[in-house]
Amino acid sequence: MSLPTYAQNWERAWYYAFRAFCILVLLFLVLPILVIIPLSFNAEPYFTFTDGMLRLDPTAFSTRWYLDIFENGMSNPALPAGSWEWLADVWQNGQWIHSAKNSILIATGATILATILGTLAALGLSQPAMPAGRLITALLISPIIVPIIVTSASLVFLLAKVGLANTYFGIILAHALLGAPFVVITVTASMSGFDRSLIRAGQMLGAPSHVIFLKIIMPLILPGVISGALFAFGTSFDEVVAVIFLTDYEQRTIPRQMWAGIREQISPTILAIATILVVLSIALLTVVELLRRRSERLRGVKPS
Amino acid sequence: MGEVSHSAPEGRDLLKRQLGLALRRQKLRALLLVVPLLLFVTATFIYPIGGLLTRSAYAPEFSEGMPRTAAALSEWDRTGLPPESAWEALVLDLQDHNRQGTAGKIAATLNVELPGARSLIIKTARLAPRLTPPYRTSLAAAEDGWKNPVAWAAMKTLANSFTDRFYLAAVDHRIDADGSVVAQPSGRQIYVPLFVRTFAIGGLVTLCCLLLGFPVAYWLSVLPMRYSNLLMIMVLLPFWTSLLVRTTAWIVLLQDRGVINSLLVWTGLIHDEGRLRLIFNSTGTVIAMTHILLPFMILPLYSVMKTVPPTYMRAARSLGANQFTAFVRIYLPQTKAGVAAGCLLVFILSLGYYITPALVGGESGTLISNMIAYHIQKSLNWGLAAALSALLLASVLLLYWAYNRLAQVDGLKLG
Amino acid sequence: MTVKKQPAPDRDASHSAADAVVRFINVQKTYDAERLVVRNLNLDIRRGEFLTMLGPSGSGKTTTLMMLAGFEPATHGEILLNGRQINRVPPDKRGIGMVFQNYALFPHMTVAENLAFPLQVRSVGKAEVERRVLDALAMVELSGFGTRRPAQLSGGQQQRVAVARALIFEPEVVLMDEPLGALDKQLREQMQYEIKRLHERLGVTIVYVTHDQSEALTMSDRIAVFNDGVIQQLSTPADLYEQPTSLFVAEFIGENNRLGGKLEHVDSAGKCTVRLDGGQIVSAIAVGNPKPGQAVQLSLRPERVLLNPNRSDTSLSIVEASVDDLIYLGDHIRIRLLVDGQEPFVIKALNDDNGMSARKGDKVAVGWRAENCRALHQSQSDVGHG
Repeated sequence: MSLPTYAQNWERAWYYAFRAFCILVLLFLVLPILVIIPLSFNAEPYFTFTDGMLRLDPTAFSTRWYLDIFENGMSNPALPAGSWEWLADVWQNGQWIHSAKNSILIATGATILATILGTLAALGLSQPAMPAGRLITALLISPIIVPIIVTSASLVFLLAKVGLANTYFGIILAHALLGAPFVVITVTASMSGFDRSLIRAGQMLGAPSHVIFLKIIMPLILPGVISGALFAFGTSFDEVVAVIFLTDYEQRTIPRQMWAGIREQISPTILAIATILVVLSIALLTVVELLRRRSERLRGVKPS
Repeated sequence: MGEVSHSAPEGRDLLKRQLGLALRRQKLRALLLVVPLLLFVTATFIYPIGGLLTRSAYAPEFSEGMPRTAAALSEWDRTGLPPESAWEALVLDLQDHNRQGTAGKIAATLNVELPGARSLIIKTARLAPRLTPPYRTSLAAAEDGWKNPVAWAAMKTLANSFTDRFYLAAVDHRIDADGSVVAQPSGRQIYVPLFVRTFAIGGLVTLCCLLLGFPVAYWLSVLPMRYSNLLMIMVLLPFWTSLLVRTTAWIVLLQDRGVINSLLVWTGLIHDEGRLRLIFNSTGTVIAMTHILLPFMILPLYSVMKTVPPTYMRAARSLGANQFTAFVRIYLPQTKAGVAAGCLLVFILSLGYYITPALVGGESGTLISNMIAYHIQKSLNWGLAAALSALLLASVLLLYWAYNRLAQVDGLKLG
Repeated sequence: MTVKKQPAPDRDASHSAADAVVRFINVQKTYDAERLVVRNLNLDIRRGEFLTMLGPSGSGKTTTLMMLAGFEPATHGEILLNGRQINRVPPDKRGIGMVFQNYALFPHMTVAENLAFPLQVRSVGKAEVERRVLDALAMVELSGFGTRRPAQLSGGQQQRVAVARALIFEPEVVLMDEPLGALDKQLREQMQYEIKRLHERLGVTIVYVTHDQSEALTMSDRIAVFNDGVIQQLSTPADLYEQPTSLFVAEFIGENNRLGGKLEHVDSAGKCTVRLDGGQIVSAIAVGNPKPGQAVQLSLRPERVLLNPNRSDTSLSIVEASVDDLIYLGDHIRIRLLVDGQEPFVIKALNDDNGMSARKGDKVAVGWRAENCRALHQSQSDVGHG
């Protein structure tokens, strides 16, 4: 959008005001996230920029909160950082390390389950013969619409009844439920515009159906499957309400521990964790964007 | 082809049957692929929600735990104190509980309906084995609490397994001692104002998102691809960033000694003593939720705006409409579906928000979800939590249905 | 619709600038400040004429149209409408009608609302709007379709609505940007006829952009052939075909045979002799004042080349050839020849009672009259016209 030559002064003013407004909104979106990054290097336990930080005084910055991520909960904090004993202690007793292990375990389990179930369902839903497709799609997607508190509350009673309360398996089931809709959405999207004559062509060329699935369908929907899986992973990795309701201290995840940290005594360690999560989400976003473009290229959608 | 039209009616029937069979086989194959997830969702979502909803109207704890009392009280008409049969039933039931050591459970159940009744039940259960008939006299002498008809009325209310009392409570009504439904006194109304606040904050957040998101979506949709792709990252980054990280960021920014207040003091706009209360109230909730939900507004708007070709605006200009008229009469109507979808999505999501209000909402910024969590975890009034959940769920599903109708008309996709 | 019938333009009369409803004066356009999309355009569009801008994609014809419509600013030069400079006038104040490539019918409005839109923004009274919408619908034979949505119409019907919408506010000039591109062949020919008929009835000036040469030839009063940001030739359809002034036009319009050679001699009437690269001497018409010794390309239309002509006819230039391939096309036969060892040379032989005796590999002779053969500068395609 460029300014035409016949624009009058007020049009000019409006045009620049509009642009400025949009840029401000975009800054509103990213600045709050980016502002945590420098603050996480604060040498003082404050949540604002100290005078030293503003003067770029190197002593005002420190990585102590990052070290704290590892050392919090160690049985012997006096061990020299980086030594084998230190590493072993961190791995055994580190609070955040424990949460990270849990997060990765739960997110991986939930992602595998959600991806398998979601991909199968999306393949079924995108068949033209699918009866009541819209209704079923609406039903399968509803777990991300229904307030998470309602879902969690109902799962509390169910898991208690079947003896899965406060177990890893229980929370994996809950997170798979929340992640599967994303897989359904992304795989269905990558199936839309899928040329069914490719399947016929494969049949005419003599390929049995499992070969057609592996060699024709799979490569084309793979970007959709992977980005759906990443969505599911991200959902589980970020989820905290179900974790609060359905698990115990032993199964605490990173968000659960952040939640506790923010509620009790917010310390800059939270900011250090947040910074790491921001970097992770940038990586995740990059991968998903690249996949999306690759999928569009594969399906011949023009990038416009 | 020719053979079909010339074949006898029987041949055509056969053909029809075969076609039907083939179609059914295709349908079946499609269904089979969906079935695993469908079963999973039914088992972990539909069924438990059904269970929760049942709890909102069915509470058998009292009638199962105190079967004699429940039966005896069903004949009582709530005038004065109940007859001797009810007293006897109460004592016998409590004797059983005393033997099995389960009096605490019944005490808790009654305590929800009648605050303070816990100790009455516990004490009575301990006394029960030593009481002698007529119980009306001995029990009344031992425990003053039973001389008050309110305690009996509460038990009569609980004796009904199928009940509307949770829903009444959820809309700030209760059953008083003589069995009629009355509104809570205005000072003790909690839930209706909370629903109103939830909807009001949701509406406000939706409005803020629309006002901030519409211009941005429009700008991104008309910018050349290489710029819009770059700027789109600024929308997608918050979308992908952890909810807790974003909430933490707002706490850091908005708190009294946080970045924004410090900046304002530093620039001299406010005094050090006059720092603004930006967080732990509804202001904080609205700001943080707007930030978190804004991408959900921008993305559907953008995808609809992308499909509106610029030639429509050009056509309008060439037909004599000025910039403003062309925008209002030609552009806006074509983005209606996107606006509606984005608003509904943001509103639906905002109704169920729990984490952000809990962390930044303080007293005045908490929403209905926080109350449900309180009743599940702290007060253990599960029936009430279930009724509140049912009301929240009903509003959300209604809006989701509307969203689906819209999406159906205009072929939109979620996400 | 009440449009004053304007006198039909006289094709051959010479026109002064005063007749021009639109003038482009030294107009240049660049998007990136490096490459000129339109290079020094000078063009007078006469009142009431049907002028077509024809050219391959990227030749600058659509950009020129967009500059006239007001959607693209000219980087340099002046655009005049009725003698008034309009460079800084926004599109809605220019009063020029336009039919868009994909019609751009507003999807959220009915046909009648689409037609009423230009009248409403001009604050025409309600009754008047209603009357003119009905007239316009009748004009394009869509009476009774007013309440439909554009999506409920066929491609041809949408096209007619788009034309009616561009005409309803009685603009002096109507621009059409490849308006028939989306239609199938049969419908396209019918719409060509209908647009032509409307043009003759209403006397409005039409500026038409297309890359389809047969469309341009059948509809236009004049055609401006664009290439590389320059008008190569501006003339009537017949002149364009019969007397191309550049190799580009000769190749772009119709089918063309080329023979390379060197100019030997030119007489005062423009008749010249050319030595082909194979050494043979032939006669032709010199175009664009070439000098003896310059390299030229001979341009010959296939239907003007005679197969095995009468060798005693001294007015013919005759060269030897061999038959490379025959393609049967029903009413005629295309014969691909190798002439003078040069690139393929095609002639058309009528498939009449005389029959076709040639076979693949035969040695034959081909001949032509000097007036049917044009000797064009090799570098002619870069030279602008008008």
